[in-house]
Amino acid sequence: MPGDDVVDCHVLVIGSGGAGCRAALEAQQYGDTVLLSRTLTGKGGCTIMAEGGYNAVLNENDSCLLHYEDTLRGGAYLNDPELAEVLVAESPERFFDLARWGSVFDVAEDFVAAQRPFGGQRFNRTCYAGDRSGHEIMATLVEQVRNSDIHQIQEEAAIELLMEDGRAAGAFTLDRDGTPGVIRADAVVIATGGGTQIYDISTNCAAGTGDGFALGWRAGGELVDMEMIQFHPTGAVYPPDARGRLITEAVRGEGGVLKNSEGERFMARYDPGRMELSTRDVVSRAIANEILEGRGTPHGGVYLDVSHLPAAQIEERLPIMLEQYLTFGVDIRTEPMEVAPTAHHIMGGLRISPGCQTTIPSLFACGEVTGGVHGANRLGGNALADTQVFGKRAGEGAGKAAVRKKADYAARLARQEERFARFENGTTPPHEIVSALKRAMWDGAGIFRTKEGLLAAQAEVTRLSALIPKAYGQRGRLECCTVENMLCLSSLIIRGALVREESRGAHVRKDVTQDWMPERSPFGHTIQKGDSCIIEKKGGAA
Amino acid sequence: MKTLTFTVARFDPATDDSPHFEKYTVEVNEGARILHALHAVRDAIDPTLAYRYCCGSGQCGSCAVRVDGEPVLACMEEATEGMVVEALNLPVERDLMVEMESYLSGMEGLVPVGETRLLTRAENDAIRPLRDCIECLACVSGCPALQVAEFSGPTAMRQEMRIALDPRDPRDRVERTVADGLFTCTTCQRCVQVCPKEIKIPGKAIEKLRELANRKGLTLPKHKEVALLVQRTGRSVERIKPTFMEQVPDVIEPVGEVKGEVAFFVGCMYNSRLPETALDMIEVMRRNGYRIHIPKDQVCCGSPLIRTGQTWFLDELKHTNIRVFEKTGCDVVLTMCAGCGSTLKNDYVTPFTVKDVNEVLTEGGFEAPEKLPVRVTYHDPCHLYRGQDVHDPPREILRSLVEEFVEMPARCCGAGGGVRSGLPEEAAELGRQRGEAIEETGAEMVVTSCPFCEFHIAEHTDKPVINITTLLREGYAEKDEGSEEEKAGEK
Ligand SMILES: Cc1cc2nc3c(=O)[nH]c(=O)nc-3n(C[C@H](O)[C@H](O)[C@H](O)COP(=O)(O)OP(=O)(O)OC[C@H]3O[C@@H](n4cnc5c(N)ncnc54)[C@H](O)[C@@H]3O)c2cc1C
Ligand code: SF4
Ligand code: SF4
Ligand code: FES
Repeated sequence: MPGDDVVDCHVLVIGSGGAGCRAALEAQQYGDTVLLSRTLTGKGGCTIMAEGGYNAVLNENDSCLLHYEDTLRGGAYLNDPELAEVLVAESPERFFDLARWGSVFDVAEDFVAAQRPFGGQRFNRTCYAGDRSGHEIMATLVEQVRNSDIHQIQEEAAIELLMEDGRAAGAFTLDRDGTPGVIRADAVVIATGGGTQIYDISTNCAAGTGDGFALGWRAGGELVDMEMIQFHPTGAVYPPDARGRLITEAVRGEGGVLKNSEGERFMARYDPGRMELSTRDVVSRAIANEILEGRGTPHGGVYLDVSHLPAAQIEERLPIMLEQYLTFGVDIRTEPMEVAPTAHHIMGGLRISPGCQTTIPSLFACGEVTGGVHGANRLGGNALADTQVFGKRAGEGAGKAAVRKKADYAARLARQEERFARFENGTTPPHEIVSALKRAMWDGAGIFRTKEGLLAAQAEVTRLSALIPKAYGQRGRLECCTVENMLCLSSLIIRGALVREESRGAHVRKDVTQDWMPERSPFGHTIQKGDSCIIEKKGGAA
Repeated sequence: MKTLTFTVARFDPATDDSPHFEKYTVEVNEGARILHALHAVRDAIDPTLAYRYCCGSGQCGSCAVRVDGEPVLACMEEATEGMVVEALNLPVERDLMVEMESYLSGMEGLVPVGETRLLTRAENDAIRPLRDCIECLACVSGCPALQVAEFSGPTAMRQEMRIALDPRDPRDRVERTVADGLFTCTTCQRCVQVCPKEIKIPGKAIEKLRELANRKGLTLPKHKEVALLVQRTGRSVERIKPTFMEQVPDVIEPVGEVKGEVAFFVGCMYNSRLPETALDMIEVMRRNGYRIHIPKDQVCCGSPLIRTGQTWFLDELKHTNIRVFEKTGCDVVLTMCAGCGSTLKNDYVTPFTVKDVNEVLTEGGFEAPEKLPVRVTYHDPCHLYRGQDVHDPPREILRSLVEEFVEMPARCCGAGGGVRSGLPEEAAELGRQRGEAIEETGAEMVVTSCPFCEFHIAEHTDKPVINITTLLREGYAEKDEGSEEEKAGEK
């Protein structure tokens, strides 16, 4: 193995979304940091797509306690209370970090952040930059990354963690051309984001394939609550290729109303108090139910309407929505949108301490790849805050890691070479495996779940895992690795969903009857490590 | 589902010297975007097809390609039958992927100092329009200045202005931007045209940075001379011969009955350099029934000042012009200079409507001329095509005027934005490239509709460069001659 393809550093950060960039900026203060991403820096991941906003307690009439309670209630009390506490306490400071670095969030008046209402929150605490809030965060962070000495390695993906004596010591990579490389580090931060691309209908970007969950799991890390998948209530249903694309919650925040094909504002039957601004799990189920019971639109959704709002408000506050719909020939100033639930966010993930330490020494994690912060259902606006709060903490934790002798990798690299050889002799085009997987997950592990459906999905995942994805040339290797990761993530979700025999937050088991409210649930986290998957049994977290 | 056949430029650095074109037929959904057509090729035909994408929703800026020559986001633009998809006009890495890293890493980031604070509303409103950039590099790939001069490019200038507007980074980078080619931009608006976020870089960044440069005394000497001339004479061009306005009365009557009435904003170039062309235009308008007012106290529109960042007495010019033209009582102010028209339309708030002569003629209907037996091509003046969105009218006129009209890709000739006077070498290079493009069309003659283009292109081609109204006047003359011959024949 030529030495050219080995990079040594103090901290390796995998992923350049909001969490990864924030972690790298922090880690770089302690030593040489590599920021690795499978896309160009900042161009991959879901942060850049986030539209609605960032939750932070900035108003004196709001309080961290209120934000904390909203977060736990929204999360059906499955959240790790300590993590939720850190989230709400530090979100404002991290918002001001962004402001110091030049972010241009909207202001309500001079020097005062504009904040909009978001579902499940009792105070208007979602800061925004129109409906390109995530883009604003990425633009701000990327400017700072460019100004720094962070070593950016772009369009190169981590395919396996490099382990030594049970600790994380770096990662094996593949670049665009399929050339393997090794990055060795004293500490590693996983910030690879989410993975709802395993579902047929998803809001995620192409990088949302769940690599980090698989990397962490294969390295022996613990994951919690993997069954907790958020289905965002409002995804596009038409045209076919736009299916699943997110219609931001800000549309409802700005006053958009949901109606079924009979013109009824049906949320009145599901959550008369909060109506359209109920939590996402509730609204998603309501919409899914309306469609199941035959009150859906021709394209299989329900109507989301903002046409009663002033055109100027739509143009100023929802420009991206307006633009995206106009390209599909729908003017949302005068016509309703058609929407249906879409797989959006993975609440579960790598188990972390408040210092973002995973259960593997020297391995840190932050952002959507972690579990515990959001419990069984995430509040809109809490994920962007998560990326900044825990991004900083992960970067700091990793930065403070002791300097070690760099690991010996030759033998382990040989195992990767075997993997590539297997792909070269593969049996099935990767995209065929992926499309079968997406359908199986949507049908069996979607919004409404039963043991039977989950077992069917599991059987399909097992079948697909037995196929060997075929690499067309060296450049096809990475896609094959990605397929393996998607299959791995899917089975983690299914196993968690089978073990959790209750309905809670985003996880609905239609085959289970229960007589408790979430706060009284006898269950805690589902915990997976290697082949073991258990559910904690205890009183409610409240 | 539907079937779609289209062409993709393929390039493998290991085996190819230059891209080659492959045709593919695939099944796609109704309403499929270009990106989905590419996915279909990759999944069904060739898994090695290389292209960049991620968000699929116009937010990450990974997927810009050229479709039939025009930069677009593959994930946003609908796929069309027969389209030709190529990489952006930047160094190609493979197939549709271009090298973006080096440009992006060279972009300046905000350097924070001092206290943390949110912005004021005014600061926020000023910066926000410059903040939507998704760094897709469509603008960079299309910028003519960047191809011939030392220029950091449109989005880099956008970023400089964004920093300049931000109180959290008090560095003064004006000298830096000048060194990075601030004055090389011809204000051709190509970057605005191709930007998926429609960011108005020349108006909102480059001209504003030039204002900052002006305050620091960094304006180019030639540009300063022009500003002084305007200040002294109200005109940006020196009088060297009898001007157009010296040759005409205040009101010119049409040939027949009055069909319409307009007031003519002459502009410095037509007034002082090309009065004959302006007279041609007047004849064409008269023949088509227009009464034309020519208020003699009109002054320079201010374009040479705005484009070069010397705006300190701009408001006086605007007031004068608006007052003078309001007095004519005409609802329509006619322009024939692309630069003046664009300035009056975009930089003024006028109580009257401003229309280019091509628009007036085609909207009002014009008398058909005799078709001239020539093969001509048309050069789109930047400030007419992109500055005023006038694309079809001159073509409509030409189709009725010449036997053979051949298109030529629209591109800046290099005359605008003060580049011809300030950086003549750059202007000459762009002019030379235009000359080559003209040659390629095989046309005998180039028609255009802007005095700067006319002047500049004429220096870089051996073909005659002629104003569209001059040619139209010839068409009418030919027609009259023909009918006289006919009459003679009848006798
Ligand atoms: C459409 C949409 C809208 C949203 N809107 C909001 C909102 O308004 N408010 C809110 O709070 N949350 C929102 N969310 C959720 C939120 O955006 C995400 O949870 C969050 O941004 C995740 O950030 P991250 O940094 O963890 O991951 P991402 O931003 O997803 O970044 C992941 C990074 O990892 C890289 N990567 C992945 N795998 C590898 C690998 N193997 N090797 C190297 N690099 C790799 C990717 O290239 C990318 O750079 C939204 C999500 C979506 C999809
Ligand atoms: S206006 Fe034309 S020359 Fe100026 S930056 Fe834009 S594309 Fe380049
Ligand atoms: S300014 Fe527009 S065209 Fe240029 S990089 Fe930004 S988004 Fe793309
Ligand atoms: S894929 Fe992100 S802009 Fe097109």
